Amino acid sequence: MPKPIRYLLYVAVFALLAYNSVYFRKLDEVKAGAETFDAAGYARDFWNKKLMPGLSKAADLNALVTQLKTEKDKAFAQHSHALGIGNIRYFLVKGQGVVTGVDENEVAVEVGNIRARIATEYIFGNAVRDASGAIDIDAFTNSMDFNNVSAEINKLIREKVVPPFKSGVRKGDRVSFHGAIELNREHLQLDNIEIIPVSLQIEKP
Amino acid sequence: MKTSIYYRIALLCIVFGLGWSSCKTKRPDNEPKKIAIVISTLNNPWFVFLAQKAEAKAKQLGYESKIFDSQNNTAQETDHFDNAIASGYDAILFNPTDADGSIVNVKNAVAAGVPVFCMDREVNANGAATSQILSDSYSGCVAIGKYFVETLNKKGKYVEILGMVGDNNTWNRSKGFHSVVDFYPGLKMVAQQSADFDRNKAMEVMESILQAHPDIDGVFCGNDAMAMGAYQALVAAGKADRVKVFGFDGAEDVVKSIQDGKIMATGMQFPEVMAQTAATFADEYFKGKRDFPRKMPVAVELVKKDNVENYAAYGEKQ
Repeated sequence: MPKPIRYLLYVAVFALLAYNSVYFRKLDEVKAGAETFDAAGYARDFWNKKLMPGLSKAADLNALVTQLKTEKDKAFAQHSHALGIGNIRYFLVKGQGVVTGVDENEVAVEVGNIRARIATEYIFGNAVRDASGAIDIDAFTNSMDFNNVSAEINKLIREKVVPPFKSGVRKGDRVSFHGAIELNREHLQLDNIEIIPVSLQIEKP
Repeated sequence: MKTSIYYRIALLCIVFGLGWSSCKTKRPDNEPKKIAIVISTLNNPWFVFLAQKAEAKAKQLGYESKIFDSQNNTAQETDHFDNAIASGYDAILFNPTDADGSIVNVKNAVAAGVPVFCMDREVNANGAATSQILSDSYSGCVAIGKYFVETLNKKGKYVEILGMVGDNNTWNRSKGFHSVVDFYPGLKMVAQQSADFDRNKAMEVMESILQAHPDIDGVFCGNDAMAMGAYQALVAAGKADRVKVFGFDGAEDVVKSIQDGKIMATGMQFPEVMAQTAATFADEYFKGKRDFPRKMPVAVELVKKDNVENYAAYGEKQ
């Protein structure tokens, strides 16, 4: 084959490869085409299919605190969940108590001989998402999506669980609750437990 | 004829992208394996601590290691990765500069057979890195946000100083904070600016914000270096007593400042835990393990005046 034709062939092959290897698209087109994660839908699904059916496995708060005082490590191993490593662990709990005070941010309850607080204002964080142990972090592309699930779960609590409770609860009422609590394994505080509620029922005396 | 053969070889190399991956240096089997520690910037004591702890753990496990400083520059980071791969490093403990911009470096290393373990900062590609050991910045800043609201009694003007805008930690922290604070209409954010996690930049940013907004009540900073810079600006403006400053990291000077009542709170991260976990994962990889968690969050703890005695710089008090 004559040299010029051979070189022309090389150039043609190279140009063809280069043309098919490089292309330009507008950044907003790429972003628009990317699938966005539906955190609200995921949270609703989690609530109905995982959290609610899983409430039957919640630990009784009184029994849990007693166990934490006597055999802390075993209590954490048996009942707590967390998606990573560190001192912060979450528990799904249930119980009944008597309302000892109602204020702007919370409802104080006596659960047996334990004093706890049911949060009605500060419903934030990952306690409910993580306490059940039913979510796999590896299923999420990035941590922002994962954190948005927490925000949506908290929104459900703020919109559905808290308002009927807050408007009806009075000092002296008896309440049944399911919820999530956060405890620091290294710096354990059992005298000021905050419950993020998942379900609440008022039993008038 | 010879020229023609060389030309063809060169052309094939260009067309099929034969390159550095085939040029990886081979080492004798009896030499210790080498671990590269690539850090976003060593211009911040927190990252210096992270790098040193990773290096110490790698050495303790019997490996050679070297720290590379990317100086917050993805191009420099790419050079470090190319060098590490070509020089025969067996694993990379990685603190990325940019959640998106660093993905290609991770993928190149993994494709060349070099596992990558991210520390503290993540890349936005699930499965690109061998494992990502990350601070749970969002949860930490939810706790700070709640304390911020309580401390300011749900009302007042405040400023947010962000870290690097290309880093997921910046937005996880900001989102965690706002997931709480935005519920309170009495709290008004009058300025939100980036200072790139840098103390001096934060001081300059705070100085200029104070000129426009001299009546602020609080400042939330995406890391402790910026909290100290903002605090310095407030001291210079004579406003340090009335403006409440909140940071994030658990750096030595902020832990001390919380004790002294100068800074209100910080989110204690555990860089030593992250560094040691990353080095341990590399060790396990060399020994044959492959099923690592894609992401491993490390819990962040709220440090404030009434519990600061439990903490020292970058972790628990020993």
